[in-house]
Amino acid sequence: MKKRLFHCLSLAIVFSAPTFARETTVPVEGLHQNTPRVHALVGATVVVSPDKTIENATVVIRDGLIESVGANVDAPADARIWNVEGKILYPGFIDAYTHFGMPAGLTPNKPRDPNASGPAPARANPPAQSGPAYWNPLITPERDAAEFFKSNAKDAEKLNDLGFATVATFPGRGIFRGQGALVNLNGKSLNESSVDLKIAQHVGFDLAPNRPDQKSAPYPSSLMGSIALIRQALYDAQWQKDFTKAYEKNPKTLERPVENFALSELQPLINNDQFALFHAADELDYNRIANIAEEFSIDFAILGNGYEYRRANYLEESGATLVLPLAFPNTPVVDRYTQTLDLSLEQLQHWEFAPSNLAFLADKGVTFCITTHALSDPAKEFWSRMRDAVKRGLSESQALAALTTRPATLYGTENRLGTIEAGKIANITIASGNLFTNAKAKVAALWIDGDYIDKKTARTIDIKGEWTFEWKGATGFETAKITGDGAKATVQFGDTKAPATVSEKELLFSVFDSDLGGKSDTDIARLQAYISPTQLTGSGFRSDGTPFSWTATRNDSADTEKEESENGESKKQDSDSIPELAFDRYPAGAFGVARREASDAVLVANATIWTSGPDGVLENADLLVRKGKIDKIGRNLKAPRGALEIDAAGKHVTAGLIDAHSHMAMSRGVNESGSAISVEVRAADIINPVNINIYRQLAGGLTTANLLHGSANPMGGQSQVIKLRWGEDADAFKLQGARPGVKFALGENVKQSNWGDRYTTRYPQTRMGVEQFMESHFSAAADYERDWNDYRSGKTKAPPRKNIRLEAALEILRGERDVHIHSYRQDEILMFARMAQRLDLKVAAFQHILEGYKVADAMVDINAGGSTFSDWWAYKFEVYDAIPYNGAMMHRAGVLTSFNSDNAELATRMNTEAAKAVKYGGLSEEEALNFVTINPAIQLGIDHRVGSIEAGKDADFVIWNEHPLSTYASVEQTWVDGIRRFDSSEHADQLVADQQERDALIQKALAKQNKGPKSKADEDSESEKENTLHAQQSPELPANVNPALAWIYSAAIHHYSCSANEEGHNHNH
Amino acid sequence: MKRTIAIISIAAGLASATYAHDIVPGPKQTAPIALTNATIHTVSGDVLQSAGLIFDEGKITAIGPRADIPADARVIDLEGKHVYPGLISSNSTLGLVEINAVRATRDYAESGSLNINARSAAAIHPDSELIPVTRANGVLISHVLPQAGLGQFGGTSSIIALEGWTIEEMALETDAGIHIRWPRAPSVPGFRSGNTPPYNAEKANEKYYESIRKIENAFADGRAFLKAKENGEEPLDVDLHWEALIPALRREMPVFVNTTSIREIRDAVQWATQEDIDLVLITGTDAWRVADTLAANDIPVIINQVQSLPRRRWESYDTVFKNASLLHEKGVRFAIAFGGSGPTSSNERNLPYEAAKAAAHGLPKAEALKAITLYPAQILGIDDRVGSLEVGKHATLIVTDGDPLDIRTQVLSAFVGGREVDLSSRHTQLRDKYEKKYAQP
Repeated sequence: MKKRLFHCLSLAIVFSAPTFARETTVPVEGLHQNTPRVHALVGATVVVSPDKTIENATVVIRDGLIESVGANVDAPADARIWNVEGKILYPGFIDAYTHFGMPAGLTPNKPRDPNASGPAPARANPPAQSGPAYWNPLITPERDAAEFFKSNAKDAEKLNDLGFATVATFPGRGIFRGQGALVNLNGKSLNESSVDLKIAQHVGFDLAPNRPDQKSAPYPSSLMGSIALIRQALYDAQWQKDFTKAYEKNPKTLERPVENFALSELQPLINNDQFALFHAADELDYNRIANIAEEFSIDFAILGNGYEYRRANYLEESGATLVLPLAFPNTPVVDRYTQTLDLSLEQLQHWEFAPSNLAFLADKGVTFCITTHALSDPAKEFWSRMRDAVKRGLSESQALAALTTRPATLYGTENRLGTIEAGKIANITIASGNLFTNAKAKVAALWIDGDYIDKKTARTIDIKGEWTFEWKGATGFETAKITGDGAKATVQFGDTKAPATVSEKELLFSVFDSDLGGKSDTDIARLQAYISPTQLTGSGFRSDGTPFSWTATRNDSADTEKEESENGESKKQDSDSIPELAFDRYPAGAFGVARREASDAVLVANATIWTSGPDGVLENADLLVRKGKIDKIGRNLKAPRGALEIDAAGKHVTAGLIDAHSHMAMSRGVNESGSAISVEVRAADIINPVNINIYRQLAGGLTTANLLHGSANPMGGQSQVIKLRWGEDADAFKLQGARPGVKFALGENVKQSNWGDRYTTRYPQTRMGVEQFMESHFSAAADYERDWNDYRSGKTKAPPRKNIRLEAALEILRGERDVHIHSYRQDEILMFARMAQRLDLKVAAFQHILEGYKVADAMVDINAGGSTFSDWWAYKFEVYDAIPYNGAMMHRAGVLTSFNSDNAELATRMNTEAAKAVKYGGLSEEEALNFVTINPAIQLGIDHRVGSIEAGKDADFVIWNEHPLSTYASVEQTWVDGIRRFDSSEHADQLVADQQERDALIQKALAKQNKGPKSKADEDSESEKENTLHAQQSPELPANVNPALAWIYSAAIHHYSCSANEEGHNHNH
Repeated sequence: MKRTIAIISIAAGLASATYAHDIVPGPKQTAPIALTNATIHTVSGDVLQSAGLIFDEGKITAIGPRADIPADARVIDLEGKHVYPGLISSNSTLGLVEINAVRATRDYAESGSLNINARSAAAIHPDSELIPVTRANGVLISHVLPQAGLGQFGGTSSIIALEGWTIEEMALETDAGIHIRWPRAPSVPGFRSGNTPPYNAEKANEKYYESIRKIENAFADGRAFLKAKENGEEPLDVDLHWEALIPALRREMPVFVNTTSIREIRDAVQWATQEDIDLVLITGTDAWRVADTLAANDIPVIINQVQSLPRRRWESYDTVFKNASLLHEKGVRFAIAFGGSGPTSSNERNLPYEAAKAAAHGLPKAEALKAITLYPAQILGIDDRVGSLEVGKHATLIVTDGDPLDIRTQVLSAFVGGREVDLSSRHTQLRDKYEKKYAQP
């Protein structure tokens, strides 16, 4: 083909439309464009791949692909030559997680402005794709990034500026959020920019948007609901597959399957044809994600959050690839002593450690990509934080891999992207220096799909520095120093500072005639120069119009300047102490502990032992523990060799206390209030093992707790019995072998009496409705069972849909899952007791049961326990008849009775709660203590393991300094499974150590903030100061709520809705 | 058993019901009563073993090992028993709310922010079922405060004895002091990863200062009103807010300021010093951190909860338990109150166990007892009448079978101003009723 060289014309066209070298379907309007796409980039340092660099190499690009690369490669004759001497060429960077091109509705909700007050604004559901959809608007796997994609030149330029040639882009809202796309940032239509579509299904544990304008809470309102919904949707996808298969076999006898795009789009995931990219919002989500992936055998990767170092071992074992943000917290504000108290050690440690996250993970062998995601200002933060990470020990090659080969591999494009090798897509990032170590280095230009992407930074020449001048037709200064940029530049010679303007091509400035050998020191001469890297070529006119010319050459080469800056940076690095790469205590922050193993043998000698068992109270007795179990109780027991001996003379020992009703240590909501039946949700999914109340309750002698769903719903969620194994992860907290449980509720809470004016329509609104509601759902469960039986026996051909809600209801109906029923009034208690009789339900305990004393006989009839408050009453109408004698009266009537906390604070003193059964009702001290030991153990079906001090049981026990029912008693040691989980003297030492660490970190933050005495070196980091920020305000009440009434308000929020203050009180009665 | 049930109005879909209990207030003392052979815990003085205490016309007339018993005295032999002054709860809403979740029964918070003049004495419900429940465990006197939002005035508090036919009979002080809830000082929010907008410390501080200025302005306006009233020639138009503030401005009445964090405490003390008023702090977790300042300025503290989780994640589990002990060591005047959970006083009876918790964590037991008897009496300005067992003081006392700070101890009988108290309550009535259910054949 003949080449036509209409340069001027073609330039104009290039401006409005890119060259059409790749074959597309778009008809050519006007003239055809056939600029050759053969280029040779010559003379640069080429980083071919993370582990291979070639100096002074040539890269040949032909028609969008790399043709060859090497030091001995000659530029082909038809190539346009690009001199890139002094530059570094990297494989085009890939951002593994963005929302590039996504509409606003599909980018994540911005965290709330910490300065804002008033209730959170209503949020809309994310925009949906049309077509037959899933019932829940958060399950939108069919949403395709490509469908919503709209290239945004501004955003592309910002990413180009950072060196990114390719991005993975995902819809950012919902639970199953949809398919991502891998896109080259070449400024072209998706037809030409897409590298691959449907690269992964994106999943996050979102909650349904808060809609204050609506009369009901949407589902899911809690993390456990979100996880349950993910599970149900995946089972539904499986069902669609099975049903379709069945239909294909029996097209004449089966009704056609219902259409559902969402389920169709989940097929690749459940068939392992693609993977899910799960968003982990915190350090606890990794387990949750891995557990789901395991249940459904799906492939997954994790979008992380910056806290990965805390769970590095777990992540390494999981083998998952991570996509990690450079989200380091800025220096905490510590200038006001009183406010500094509100910063936790955990937060301070994170500030200190976060920049080491990547180095730490790399060290552990975790595979990860790095993303700009979660930075508030990537332009400022991305490379400076990347360099911080490198300073902390992340190797350059690991960092580079995380931007190139790792994301290429994650998205299955390692044959096309990630390195500068022959045959790959010609994506190249050109930098003026080493981006990973040199703060002055900039991205100079990019090649994307073999096309040059110009950057202003590449064209702009930095002329700051000393110059030597030569004059013709004038006598001017010999040297001058140019400082500043743009219109704020100055040319300084002698004592004179002449204002100047520097543009991409020119320097303009003016001086007095007298400065150039003229006479006037008021008349002004104007000067202009063209800029090249080594020379200024100047001209000028005196005030009277006489022309002159001049040139200037650099005194100091640009190179030396660069090196100086590198030196400057390394100096700074030395002064910045690098924390040791160790994170061996868990949880992070105060009272974190190193891993502990059970001692082989422990002998607690000479104590008063309250066995809560057949032995009663033993004076001056010994307790021998072996390998985590109670071995013997008796007098004068011999300690085995090497046993730890504890002299407990004058002390009391009881079994570890048990709380049959707790909501502590649960993440992101204790209620799924989006549906009146939510038995599919599981407390087991949301255990929060870092909640500080675990440790505080250990300090009160508690060793076991029953984590219950809240009381928002007649048929709540599945409960989980945990042991307080402080220092372990969530899965280790589960007490295996406990009877499965579920929380049900009756009365005011479930009929929404105190939820506020918005909630007046959900069924049920009366106690009458509560009964019918339960009946209806139990019948549905029975019908469901029949459907399955018919299918399994071959009676029907259509596979029933696995319904995890009805399956949980069925477990209850079959007596495989015990009911814990929140109840107050005798009418509702009787109603449920009769229903339990009729349906043969197993009722572990009536919870709260404050009118249990009125109908204890009915409770005995169904062999149900009573788990009650010792003395709470009158906080709402249905507890006006609550009396503190309730516990003793139920006990005397033959009800297996326990006292519970329902409250994180009360749970720290269950021993004195028990004492109230002595005061009110005159029970013996042993009977009273049983209310918080063996009785709740029996209720929870764990009495074979815990609840009393008997040989063979778990070594869960407490050493008290005096009588355990005394208000003056305090805990000296708490043991769980033969491991000392709390020790008052260790605690005292820990306090000192924590305080020292805290003080040191605060001093460091103070120095960083330049609040302390300033040294010259600190001035460089002055600009960081503006960035100093912290984030989210602790949740406050809306401004319009009278705090005197806050109790009610927070009741509505905490008890009946979705959120739980994880550190605070947690009344849910 | 007689029981009057008054069903109040059912209107606009809101059902409310209150029950008036039939526990009859004891008659005024007509003859001397002599308690003998008891262990008498005077609180202000020694613990007297096998001693007697005589009271007449509502007041203590003699205490000692060998008190002369008047001939007409009713003698109560208390061998093996203990006598203590009635316990004083110094921060409650008793009588101002029956069931917090039922709007019709809430009377503790008036609308508006400048409720200096709202008087709890006008709203305390003497037939509240909460009152007999509370006194049954030895709490015989309560300081009842109207509640307020952050940075707001709640109103004027009352001090009542938990016995009597009417509020007029019950009141020790109908108007005891003014209650202000200090604005919430900004706390540094925890940082999170992600693109959270920066927390603006200046803005948060400005909001806080503005709320403080509102309180300062109220006092400035009140002072101007007082000055005009005292010195002006024309009679002033009445303004109930400023009229109600005058006793506080003249230091005839304390100002109770409810604070939470250390910064609020310091700012409130600074403010009170400038205002030259009698400040009493009601505060919980952080007072010990400013003990020196409080001691130096002689600011008394009502500790509004001991059995409480620490304020901050990193603090020791026993931080709040030790608060009283640390204040005591620094010489700060303090009382211990039952903070409870929100504005509900249904478990005000558990007051002694708050004190016990402090004793379990460093506070001497005798001090713990004082913290719920003599010290609150002193801080509330009623120690001339109650708070200890001394000749001349009210015969407001309890008889127990042991240490009232231990849960297992029973309160056996009680006297308020010499009137014998019926210790039954809604709780004992319901117990007795349903015990019959199981006893019936």
